Amino acid sequence: MRLVWVELCKLLRLPSARAGVALGVLCAPAIAAVSAPSERSAAVDVAFLELTFGVIGAILLGVVAVSSEYRDDGEDSASTRQIVASLTAVPSRMRFLAAKAAALSLTVATTAMLATVIMLTMLAGTGEDLGPGVVGRGVGLIVYWVLTALIAFGITLLTRNGVVPLVVLLLNSSVISFTYLLSRVVPAANYFPDLAGPHMFLRRSPTGVEIGPVTGGLVMLGWTVVLLAVGAFRFQRSDA
Amino acid sequence: MCGTARSGCIAGVIEIENVSKRRGRVTVLDGVSFVARPGRVTGFIGPNGAGKSSTLRILLGLDHAQEGRALVDGSPFTALRRPLTCVGAVLDGSGAHRSRTGRAHLRWVAASNGLSRRRVEEVIELAGLESAANKRVRGYSLGMGRRLGLAAALLGDPGVLVLDEPFNGLDAGGVRWVRELVRTRARAGGTVLLSSHLMSELAEIVDDVVVISGGRIAARGTLDTVTGEHGSLEDAYFALTSS
Repeated sequence: MRLVWVELCKLLRLPSARAGVALGVLCAPAIAAVSAPSERSAAVDVAFLELTFGVIGAILLGVVAVSSEYRDDGEDSASTRQIVASLTAVPSRMRFLAAKAAALSLTVATTAMLATVIMLTMLAGTGEDLGPGVVGRGVGLIVYWVLTALIAFGITLLTRNGVVPLVVLLLNSSVISFTYLLSRVVPAANYFPDLAGPHMFLRRSPTGVEIGPVTGGLVMLGWTVVLLAVGAFRFQRSDA
Repeated sequence: MCGTARSGCIAGVIEIENVSKRRGRVTVLDGVSFVARPGRVTGFIGPNGAGKSSTLRILLGLDHAQEGRALVDGSPFTALRRPLTCVGAVLDGSGAHRSRTGRAHLRWVAASNGLSRRRVEEVIELAGLESAANKRVRGYSLGMGRRLGLAAALLGDPGVLVLDEPFNGLDAGGVRWVRELVRTRARAGGTVLLSSHLMSELAEIVDDVVVISGGRIAARGTLDTVTGEHGSLEDAYFALTSS
């Protein structure tokens, strides 16, 4: 527990991580404020779709949790790679990594919960019916954010540098979704984590392929476990 | 095996046993062996790229060796649960993230080993960082970064100090502080292993010398035996590392 607390402090004192939390909390309400209400879908469905975009905050947190350890400002700087300090203080790499993943999950889960509560409260305030199963959908969204952050974390363990995972993952979940485009051609692409995961909280599939919420969650969990395992293996084996 | 889950060092003997390391086809270290003993300052000297940092990184579990072992009191560093109470190390700089303050850096390092915030204030004072502690590390000079690294290494009041090029970037006052710190620690029974390429700084403070060149140990022993008939440590160094 002590190490989780330490990793929480390390993460939340970084300006970029704070930006990730702010993005996550504020993104969905901001989109909701500027987008016109849709007549074809229920307001609560639109709200959950908008909450999907807040996942960019989770991605930022997942990437920064790792890339901040490897940031190197060059020989003339007093600031050097934090990983050296981290591993001389906590030499067991798996304990270190587990604490870091736990701290990241806690941060992202809290951020997602705040975002969901704010969004749904805004919605309920306008007299909208939140519909049945809204709690389950909310939990699904939180799980989606946490798993996305852990996927970003796992990928950054492989690259060490945050730029590539940040650009690829943020582009894919905001401006242009490569996986979505691919799914138009290859149906199996629907099982990419960013397409399977949202079935946990979206009623209507954006791609037209129906995957149950539990199946969607399990598919995403599978991706997360594999990417984390590969990242952890590399972290354990390679020189810091 | 008593090496897992224990804190602090009993004796503080550093043993490097036949360590070899290759990166791709390049042999970085080739059968490196030496011992650093309590109550003595061991100087680890050699040209740039000779393998000093690699050896120290392997000792601290940061890099992996293909062969051999690096031990502190008979166990690998990575088996220590609260390593800061046993080994204090400064490798390449402070290890502090640029957007943290010096104090915030020291606080998380202390917390990771269950050390108090009071101790953080003590090492800030010890390292002369009082006026810089609340500033972000990106604004630190190289020397201040060194002092911050040393402050972190001293947090757990460890019996063993491992310092890689500790004089780099320090001003005259800093050099003097490190020199006195190292001597005091060794006199009190601590083990100090420090690498450097500055012979003049080293000759005054070391008891034992290990010379490394091209990944191999060229000489090891007390200052007198290594200096031998060369006249000075510097002459011995050039004679041993030029071949």
